[in-house]
Amino acid sequence: MKIAKIDLKSLKKQAQKDINLAKDLKELNEIFKKYLGKKGQLTQVLRSLEKLSKAKRVKIGKAANQLKNFLRIKFDQKAEALKEKVRKEIEEKEWIDITAPGKKPALGHLHPLTLVKRKTEEIFQEMGFSVVEGPEVETEWYNFDALNIPPEHPARDLWDTFYLKNGFLLRTHTTPVDVRYMEKNNPPLRIITIDRCFRHEATDASHEINFYQLDGLMVGKNISVANFKATIQEFFQRFFNKVIEIRMRPGYFPFVEPGFEVDMTCLICGGKGCSACQKTGWMEMMGAGMVHPAVFKNSGLNPRDWQGWAFGMGFDRLTMMKYKINDIRLFYSGDLRFLQQF
Amino acid sequence: MVFSYNWLQSFFQKKLPKPEKLAEFLTMKAFEVSEVRKAGKDFVLDIDILPNRAGDCFSHQGIAREIAAITGLIYRGSTSMVSEDKNLKAKDFVGVEVKNKVACPRYTAGVVTDVKVGPSPKWIRERLKVCGLRPINNVVDIANYVMLETGQPLHAFDDQKLEGEKIIVRFAKNREKIVTLDEEKYDLNENILVIADAKKPVAIAGIKGGKIPEIDKKTKIIVLESANFDSRVVRRGSQKLDLKTDASWRFEHGLDPNLTEMAINRAAYLIQKIAKGKVAKGLIDFYPKKVLPKRVKLDLDYLEKLLGIKIPVREIKNIFKRLDLQIIEAKPRYLLVKVPTRRLDISLPEDLIEEIGRIYGYQKIKAAFPTATLIPPKRNIEIFWGDMTKNILKEAGFTEVYNYSFFGEKEAKLFGYEKKDLIELENPLSGEQKYLRASLIPNLLKNIEKNFRYFPEIKIFELGKTSQKPNLEKRALTGVITGDAFYQAKGMVDLLLNKLGISNIWYDSWQPTPEQTKFSIWHPKKCAEIKIDGEEVGFLGEISPRVLHSLDFQGKVVLFDIDFEKLSKISSEEHEYQPISKFPAAVRDIAILVPRQIRVEEVLNKIEAVGGRLIRDIDLFDIYEGEEIPRGKKNLAFHLIYQAEDRTLSSKEIDQIQNKIILALEKEIGWEIRK
Repeated sequence: MKIAKIDLKSLKKQAQKDINLAKDLKELNEIFKKYLGKKGQLTQVLRSLEKLSKAKRVKIGKAANQLKNFLRIKFDQKAEALKEKVRKEIEEKEWIDITAPGKKPALGHLHPLTLVKRKTEEIFQEMGFSVVEGPEVETEWYNFDALNIPPEHPARDLWDTFYLKNGFLLRTHTTPVDVRYMEKNNPPLRIITIDRCFRHEATDASHEINFYQLDGLMVGKNISVANFKATIQEFFQRFFNKVIEIRMRPGYFPFVEPGFEVDMTCLICGGKGCSACQKTGWMEMMGAGMVHPAVFKNSGLNPRDWQGWAFGMGFDRLTMMKYKINDIRLFYSGDLRFLQQF
Repeated sequence: MVFSYNWLQSFFQKKLPKPEKLAEFLTMKAFEVSEVRKAGKDFVLDIDILPNRAGDCFSHQGIAREIAAITGLIYRGSTSMVSEDKNLKAKDFVGVEVKNKVACPRYTAGVVTDVKVGPSPKWIRERLKVCGLRPINNVVDIANYVMLETGQPLHAFDDQKLEGEKIIVRFAKNREKIVTLDEEKYDLNENILVIADAKKPVAIAGIKGGKIPEIDKKTKIIVLESANFDSRVVRRGSQKLDLKTDASWRFEHGLDPNLTEMAINRAAYLIQKIAKGKVAKGLIDFYPKKVLPKRVKLDLDYLEKLLGIKIPVREIKNIFKRLDLQIIEAKPRYLLVKVPTRRLDISLPEDLIEEIGRIYGYQKIKAAFPTATLIPPKRNIEIFWGDMTKNILKEAGFTEVYNYSFFGEKEAKLFGYEKKDLIELENPLSGEQKYLRASLIPNLLKNIEKNFRYFPEIKIFELGKTSQKPNLEKRALTGVITGDAFYQAKGMVDLLLNKLGISNIWYDSWQPTPEQTKFSIWHPKKCAEIKIDGEEVGFLGEISPRVLHSLDFQGKVVLFDIDFEKLSKISSEEHEYQPISKFPAAVRDIAILVPRQIRVEEVLNKIEAVGGRLIRDIDLFDIYEGEEIPRGKKNLAFHLIYQAEDRTLSSKEIDQIQNKIILALEKEIGWEIRK
């Protein structure tokens, strides 16, 4: 009886020591078997209880069961600690160099002119403009005559034109779309066109034989120069995300009267004057003006009833300014080293 | 055009603003001054005169008047007080006959005798040089000087060299020739207006003088010509002869016929003063239809409504005064204005509004948003589908390119286009732009060839317009993939069409005619027509080695080419959700050996026919031919996905169907299920 008591005490001490020394789960399992397995030392003590008197059985049985529970907890704790250690080791082994480059999914790229076209359309649509298009192969009428540029007029020299053998021509600007639209739609109206045009001229860093033009038209009962100024200023501010002012100078385009050249605050110097703006603080952006009565007439509208403004600007140049591209020819080169930057 | 600052100053008593400041004024209110530079004691202003102001502003007087209008300084015209010699009569020296008064609305001639031809005085020579003209002799220099001053081109003939003492303004006869002052020979024709003497052309009217009646050191009697020629006639002549001169440039833009007299008097005055001549009495002046000043009525409300700013009437009147626009009637609602005939650009109220706007200052107009009815912008469905398509292709790894709208003879030949179908340019800049592109393919293949040395694998596309006779302008969508990528391209087309809401897609093998075969750009065994609801919308396939070799391209290229007009019409945003079955799906595999030429389609059809509704999907996951497979055969492996919408299928039920399918497939001769 006394022995049994001592036995439990040293059993506890020894078991605790063994558990602490276990190096891995396998060893721990062996130790578990040694004490709590079918033939384990504590299991045997518990089994031998039936041979004892009732009083002893109760007393020693209680102590033995307490020890059993105590050891189970110890085993669990140790097992958890060992598992944690193993996880740590695995994680340690799985170290990677996070500075090595990531693997990008192979997306394609949209053309910069497409991107800027979308941005421009979005801004104008938010201001109530519809986006319209028209044919690239045009008639003399829509490209010139209807726009108050009569045949054999020197103003035609302002537009170097590709003529086609079938009597048509390649439109030199998107302004014909204005006439086509006014023929079919009654004012009030607000439209923009961003589309391909053609010029018969030598190519260089800022000239291409095909290019894109942004053309806008707003017609109503009271649409004024002041409205033009506000609308275009708003467009440039939203487009470039900067505080921008515009100014108008006299300009001549046969389809508008009065006609303007439109400048905007230099993006580089903010108007202080720098080399990019020839020290003027302004950048030339577009031609514009109030729709000429002859154009209304040629579009089937009565000029007494309607007034409005129109503008046209090089869309490639706008895109070049946006991305600081220095050569228009890159747009039509199909060079993926260029296109895949967008 | 370049202008002398000192010359401009000579029209004013008060000092002009400094050259830089003057340039700024002009730029903001009249014409852009592109350059100001010092030239000795003078300054040169390079001014971009707007084409509609050529009539009055291709001249120092014109610019001086603009300066007066802008600054308010008082403009003084130059002197032209001629003292005529009563004993000499101009018409005794020369007779003028104008055959066509439309081509020549006015012809003014004067005669100066006893001139001493020699070098011009320094002040004339210097002003000419500053303006880029070479001094020749006093008579010629004065003619040029007066042109730069007034804008009216003048010409001087040696009277004694004119046969028959006659000047005839007429169209040239065919095969007439002329040698000009610069010794160039020109062949004339019936469209070219000339000044002739009794026998031959002596000048090309409004363009250049002839060599024969040239002023030289021995010239004693000169005939001065100050004429007005029709702008279209001069323009046509100048284009025909490919000859542009200071004179033709001015006439082409149109001049005021009332200018001739003033200019000729100014020239006569200067010749008298400098070359010591006697001015014969009386100008010879052919001017059948006098041009009178226009009257334009300006509605003041309209002015305010168009500019969007209220300008005080006092200010408007002041601006008109400075511009020499005479108010002949002033009412509270309108002003009636008399426009000097030199202002060819003013005939409408809008023209007057421009004058007021620019002189008053556009910068004074405050930005104001329009008050307009709220009309929502119309949706442009074609742009919508275009953008959607571009997005899908981009997400699938394709890069968008923009190519030229042209191709050349080489491409036309290589791609089998016939000249009669192509739209040809009248005036191409190079052979590469001979035709409008009838297809996006040729230029895309060039892109591939150019990029291939930098990129081993290329996927590009373009959505752009193509043109073919008879004037068909169509949007096309073309995509290219390098490599043995037929199925990739086909998968791309399927994906794209599905995303565009199109499901009934069919691929048909193409049966070219022998003629088509010859020019076909497609690999005959690796191409297909893309059909939607039975209608062809495009083509898919590998480019034939014949084409690739001519483009010096090593490797394979697969391409899809779709008629985007058709596509955007059948695309749809409608899309309906399919409920997800609550019952599990089961997968069974079938591997089958079939003869090589049997199409997957046939096997699929058979499986579907037998399998019925409970087969939800069939997925071909492997096609194999080669080692371990008998020659002439291929192995097809399918996942068959079984699923019912209303119950869980039992293994027994599935096995029954699967066995039925296997039996049906094995019935085919040469088909063999692999177990």
